Amino acid sequence: MTSSSPRPHVRISKAANRYLVFDIDDVMYLRRNHNICSVFVGTMPQAPQQSAFMGLPIELMAEEAQVLVEKNVAFVVDDCNYHLARMAAAGPQDKQYLDAVKAVTSDAQRSMRESTEARKAMYANKGTSKKKEKKNKKAPDTQSSEDVTDAPLADAEEAAAATSLFDTTPEPTSATTTKNSPVTREAPEAWSATLTTSGALLTPSPGQDEQLASVDVPASYPLYAHLQDKGYFMMPGLRFGCDYNVYPGDPLRFHSHFQATGFQWNEDIKLLDLVTGGRLGTNVKKSFLIGGRVESEEQHQDETDTARDVRAFSIEWAAM
Amino acid sequence: MAHPDYLTDLASTVFENLESQHDWTLLESHTHKQQSSLTETNKTLLPRPLLTGLPPKRLYLHPDDQVELVKTHATYTVDETPEMEWVVPMHLNEQFTLKQLAEVFDSLEPLEPLAKGRCKRLLMAIVHDDSTVVYYFVHDGIVKPRQN
Repeated sequence: MTSSSPRPHVRISKAANRYLVFDIDDVMYLRRNHNICSVFVGTMPQAPQQSAFMGLPIELMAEEAQVLVEKNVAFVVDDCNYHLARMAAAGPQDKQYLDAVKAVTSDAQRSMRESTEARKAMYANKGTSKKKEKKNKKAPDTQSSEDVTDAPLADAEEAAAATSLFDTTPEPTSATTTKNSPVTREAPEAWSATLTTSGALLTPSPGQDEQLASVDVPASYPLYAHLQDKGYFMMPGLRFGCDYNVYPGDPLRFHSHFQATGFQWNEDIKLLDLVTGGRLGTNVKKSFLIGGRVESEEQHQDETDTARDVRAFSIEWAAM
Repeated sequence: MAHPDYLTDLASTVFENLESQHDWTLLESHTHKQQSSLTETNKTLLPRPLLTGLPPKRLYLHPDDQVELVKTHATYTVDETPEMEWVVPMHLNEQFTLKQLAEVFDSLEPLEPLAKGRCKRLLMAIVHDDSTVVYYFVHDGIVKPRQN
């Protein structure tokens, strides 16, 4: 793999103490280059029960967020504060976005106006009766919006044919006729554009006005950082009653090798916990890995390098 | 300079279990580090009493070696060449810390068949009051599991 040119930092949104990544490019980048695949947590808004196939965003463990910050490939933003700040002060990005919306809207209005006028001209050429012309004015309202947008000049004949169907229908009530009469002035205002993407609103790179949020890592973080540094993939360990499931490669390709649990250097470990972990691990063809940061007397001053100075032990049933 | 009695008794329980139930040979108890330069009186005390012994057949085979041997169909010969093992007796009601475990590892000296480098694994013997003894391998470092 070629080393790519400096890539923009991955933006991690911290919302309600969860660390979320919304950009699919970032997700792929983390998986390929930083052995982090994490958990997809996004559901469809209209079918939240459908959880078999979750989508974006991914939710990072606090450890993963911290590791990425320490590697200087990501930054964590407090999304609540960020949102409020952005709402209060509109920046150049927002103006850009609004301009884009306005441009699309006026485009839509213009083409709408053009097609209405073209149709009107066509009916006028045919020399239709006054009653029929009144009906024609109703046409843009009664037809579905899809028909109207797709109706270029060539389709106008068909539109006329459609309106002729309405000849058999009873005369509309007075309420609708009054509403229909100023249709030429009202029609453009009914058009407002909904953009299919809000990409223009996406955030700037770090540094400018974003307040970076801190990451609260659990006590098992040193073990996580150690394993991550060695290239292992880690997933949440609930399934096997530990802190992390440790995979030797991408979890799509490998079974996990270890169930890992972090301990403090001087924390008491119950032997029964060790037996339980070792026994379960052996049953599922894994090793039970325990570890933590070495705390010796002389190295208390520099606690920054978390990945190093970690000692780990693997436990397996001896089959005797 | 000696260990408390309950640790010594624990060691003898495991000693007997290995000898009588698991047919180990060449069993030996260790209370002090084996430093030939020092006299008997000022040898350093081990963190815990330890045992060494030879199991009737090979107890542990690294998964990579296992794969290699399956390829060459030589598993039988390996079973016949057991390796000496370090054993650390413990009681189920005890607690231990990573620090203590590291100290035990650091006090081990390579056994003869290994001959060089530090000792990379030990056998933890866990005793319960009903005289059940269970054995677990503890490896120093990240060692991938066996394919059993």
